[in-house]
Amino acid sequence: MDYDDVFVLDNGACTAKAGFASSDDARIIPNCIMKAKSERRRPFIGDQVEECRDASGLFYILPFQKGYLINWDVQKNIWDYIFSAECLPVNFPETPVVITEPYFNFNSCKEAMTEIFFEEYDCHSLLRINAGDLSSYHYFNTNQNSLCCLLVDVGYSFTHIVPYIKGKKLKNGIRRIDIGGKVLTNHLKEITSYRQLHVMDETYVMNQVKEDACFVSLDFYKDMKIAQKRGKENTIVRDYVLPDYTSIRRGYVKDPAVAPSGEDGDQQTLRLNNERFTVPELLFNPSDVGITQMGIVEAIVDSLSVCPAETHPHLYRNIMLVGGSTLFPGFRDRVCKEVRTLAPCDFDVNVTLAKNPITYSWNGGRLLTQDPEFSSRLVSKDEYEDHGYNICLDRFDV
Amino acid sequence: MATARESGRLKESGKVLDEATRKRRARKALEALELDNFHEDPHADLVMSKKVPKFQETLDNRSVKRKKGKSAEYYKQRFRKTFPQLVEEDRNYNPNPPNYMSAQAAPSKCPERRFCAVCGFPSTYTCVKCGARYCSIRCSGTHLDTRCLKWTA
Repeated sequence: MDYDDVFVLDNGACTAKAGFASSDDARIIPNCIMKAKSERRRPFIGDQVEECRDASGLFYILPFQKGYLINWDVQKNIWDYIFSAECLPVNFPETPVVITEPYFNFNSCKEAMTEIFFEEYDCHSLLRINAGDLSSYHYFNTNQNSLCCLLVDVGYSFTHIVPYIKGKKLKNGIRRIDIGGKVLTNHLKEITSYRQLHVMDETYVMNQVKEDACFVSLDFYKDMKIAQKRGKENTIVRDYVLPDYTSIRRGYVKDPAVAPSGEDGDQQTLRLNNERFTVPELLFNPSDVGITQMGIVEAIVDSLSVCPAETHPHLYRNIMLVGGSTLFPGFRDRVCKEVRTLAPCDFDVNVTLAKNPITYSWNGGRLLTQDPEFSSRLVSKDEYEDHGYNICLDRFDV
Repeated sequence: MATARESGRLKESGKVLDEATRKRRARKALEALELDNFHEDPHADLVMSKKVPKFQETLDNRSVKRKKGKSAEYYKQRFRKTFPQLVEEDRNYNPNPPNYMSAQAAPSKCPERRFCAVCGFPSTYTCVKCGARYCSIRCSGTHLDTRCLKWTA
């Protein structure tokens, strides 16, 4: 081994999770460039947006489209920032890099990624791997007795359901639902703009509203009935105070127990009622907005139907939820409840939500770097120069 | 006499949208869910002049930049492909499942649920003209006044 540390980059469509394997946890950096109305001199790259004093009407420039890396110039600028002295300086010629890519990544995206890391950044060696493989590695690492794992990764662009059998993914069983955090935020923006206040330009703020106020309903029609009630009986309705970027820097849900006082007069609020649970509901019923695909639970059962019958009890017992959109309260319980009703009654159903669903995969990468087999999975710069891109095709299982 | 004073919208209101238009609307709504932004680039009107020297850039600085290699613009040109192009390419490159297309979740076996296009609560009625759902006379009125026969995003 001729290196001291490994750089792990879980390059997600919404946030990049980056850091050295020797650090405790990943740094979460928005994987986008943002432009603010108030700050006309410069764009904000990645987490520079924290310096932005007025995030209203933030304009997004994203490297990813539908979960795949399309805008390489944008990504290059963001990577340059991440690897710079300002953020996480990487000495590439002496550091192996683990970088993630989506399932069924397109061939030219793979080639581009390899070329940039070897030829532009001159990195010591590279491992390109699916983020889900890192998550499953993390799972098997912490649950040594488990033979299988059914990974549910609810990301920003889409949701993947992937059966891992004895550590290997069953590619036939991979199911993709084209709903993730982005669709949910856009849907919330759309219905809020139609029903009360025009917020179509406020992706940043509405994403916070979604994170602060939305939840997954455990009994959808019962919650619908509650939301239709008036006054105190409606335990779902909440007022959300929007940030004005002078006195309120971040929006928040008003405590329903506190009676409104006079000084709240100039606050701008949104009233959230059934929006609170109909938005995350799309993950379970994409047809609610006309997307003709199965919801998460139906897709779990569908994915299992192509797995060998002897693996079913193991897969039902090891369902793992990762990804930022699993953070809605009630998400795990809903998956658990619905899988239970669809699974054969003699199987145990066990659903785990990662302690930190956003960095779970990054931490899997960190553990992988300590694996005795790890260095044999890397492609070094010398090998790349001798054999070209083909060696990556042989060695990387993506 | 009365006909001359009718507004264009009233005349239009008798029209029933055909299947193709309804589908087009549904597709537009789905495309909107994928958009990154709904407004224009706030810096679009800024004109960056290349002739103006950037004063903070010293000679040292410039040599470091050159060592850094190719610009982002180079990679934009080098790997310029749109998403539909990539999907099409993948169809030829990986014709046999499992691939990107085959991994897509199939349509649900359960029937669609119906919600009021205005308030979001479960709905029983369908707008005769455009096919949207509504739950009450009040929502029907709002729907007819706002979205029924025109597209407002």
